[in-house]
Amino acid sequence: MTGDAPVIEVRDLAKTYPTGFWRRRVEVLRDVSFSVRRNEIVGFLGPNGAGKTTTIKILNRLAFPDGGTVRLFGAADGYRPEVRRRIGFMPEQPYFYEYLTGEEFLRLCGRLCGMGRQETGERSETLLSRVGLEGAGRMAIRKYSKGMMQRLGLAQALLHDPELIILDEPMSGLDPLGRMDVRNLIRELRGSGKTVFFSSHIISDVEALCDRVILLHRGRKVAEGSLEELLGGGDMQCVEVTFSPIPDPGWLADAGLPPGRWNVEGNVVIVVAQDEEEADRWIGEFRRAGSRVRSCVPVKRRLEDIYVEHVVGGKPPGGARG
Amino acid sequence: MGSRLLSIAANTFRETIRNKILYTILAFALLVIGLTWFLADLSVGELTRIIVDVGLAGIHVFGVIMAVFLGITLIHQELERKTVYVILSKPVPRWEFVVGKALGLSGTLALVTSVMSVVLFGVHAAYAKAIEPGILLASAGVYMELVLIVCAASFFSAFTTPVLSATFTLCLFLIGHVSRDLVDFGGRSAWSAVRWGAFALYGALPDLELFNWKNQVVYGEVRSFSVLLLPAGYLLAYGGGVLFLACLLFSRKDFK
Repeated sequence: MTGDAPVIEVRDLAKTYPTGFWRRRVEVLRDVSFSVRRNEIVGFLGPNGAGKTTTIKILNRLAFPDGGTVRLFGAADGYRPEVRRRIGFMPEQPYFYEYLTGEEFLRLCGRLCGMGRQETGERSETLLSRVGLEGAGRMAIRKYSKGMMQRLGLAQALLHDPELIILDEPMSGLDPLGRMDVRNLIRELRGSGKTVFFSSHIISDVEALCDRVILLHRGRKVAEGSLEELLGGGDMQCVEVTFSPIPDPGWLADAGLPPGRWNVEGNVVIVVAQDEEEADRWIGEFRRAGSRVRSCVPVKRRLEDIYVEHVVGGKPPGGARG
Repeated sequence: MGSRLLSIAANTFRETIRNKILYTILAFALLVIGLTWFLADLSVGELTRIIVDVGLAGIHVFGVIMAVFLGITLIHQELERKTVYVILSKPVPRWEFVVGKALGLSGTLALVTSVMSVVLFGVHAAYAKAIEPGILLASAGVYMELVLIVCAASFFSAFTTPVLSATFTLCLFLIGHVSRDLVDFGGRSAWSAVRWGAFALYGALPDLELFNWKNQVVYGEVRSFSVLLLPAGYLLAYGGGVLFLACLLFSRKDFK
């Protein structure tokens, strides 16, 4: 691999699948291009059916593209065993040989990756403990819960100490503590110089972890960039001011409140001001009407807004009240 | 390469040897072999031949059931449960996966066939108070046929559904036992095109009768291990060819 070559480089990826009796081809990916640089955490975001898993399968040679190129570690033939040895992969909702124990399964994975018996044993022990399966290594996989299966999936992906870790929906099936564990593990991996590429449709996980985000929708890339780039540097989008008690209904009707940007919820009035000046003005007006400010929250653009804009085609939440 | 291949084979062996259905079929087979003792008692004349005849037929039939059943589930189960995703994302070429699976199942069938043939050998020896090594030779022939069936099942599993794979494999098994007749029938034709066509078809289809010398064993005509040489060569060439095609198909398969 050349020094600065991206770890993953995908150009104009296209994929169709035949479906139905007549084998009509359905387009799953079209002109998808992106790259992942060394030591980044990149989130692959998109709704169900966006093409995330298909792209990940292509990266892992489980499916073949109809068009475009995939370069892994700069190698045009990313399917070569020496390249595969540098990659760890966990599929979505992983399932393993249920007749094996966790340890036996990791031993098998170690042998397939060309690891020695002792090395595999040591790494297995460390990883089982790291992913929270301490003591479960000798239990038959058929007795594992969904969450334990997910954790074993992570252990097998990391067993051979790969440089690039590709995870398909790593947080699905995990309880909140499990999700936190995985988030911490991903951060640790980046800290130790690894590159992590993971897909998710849980926006908060992507927002909390990723250096960069690639948003896929209906088989096309609709957005890509760092969180800062996508969120416009974290600029304030609006100010949400909450007042109580609710002024006289007649006052509310005559005050000239901005249409569509205010709302009465329970015993409070919420006004969404476009900027700080407008917020100041409404604070003054409501004070004069006998109301007090209960909260004043600057609303910044969130990844969820970007997601909604591209995927649903709707307006981001925060500006649609009243 | 060798280590990965053997790891997959060993894992497949472990998978199939822990399969409860395998033991059910094996129990039936051993029951049939055991019953030959009583069958011989009920027969008139040629008592020990009945044991060998029925016993070897039992080994053959139950062996084929095991080979077809395990052969078609071998790859399909991996695809259905998506365990193949984890294995093939590792530095494992797809052909190693296919060959490793077939090798592992062949190992299981070797063990199971050995158990059945040793039991039959024992039943015969106890009844006839004589040793018949032909039983072991005929069982070796059955085993080679089973390995070829595993290769065929792997081939069909690479591109079609389990039900169709089982149907195709069973059809090939049946055709394989009469394919030799094609050459005889073709030879009677006045047209050389028909003769050559029949011969080409015979070459494309397996000749499973090559592995069958059960009748000779029944009449005590098979005594030498040299009888295994030609079938072993045929198995290597034909089985290897079928497995090669299976690898070829599997290497371009998209996992949805």
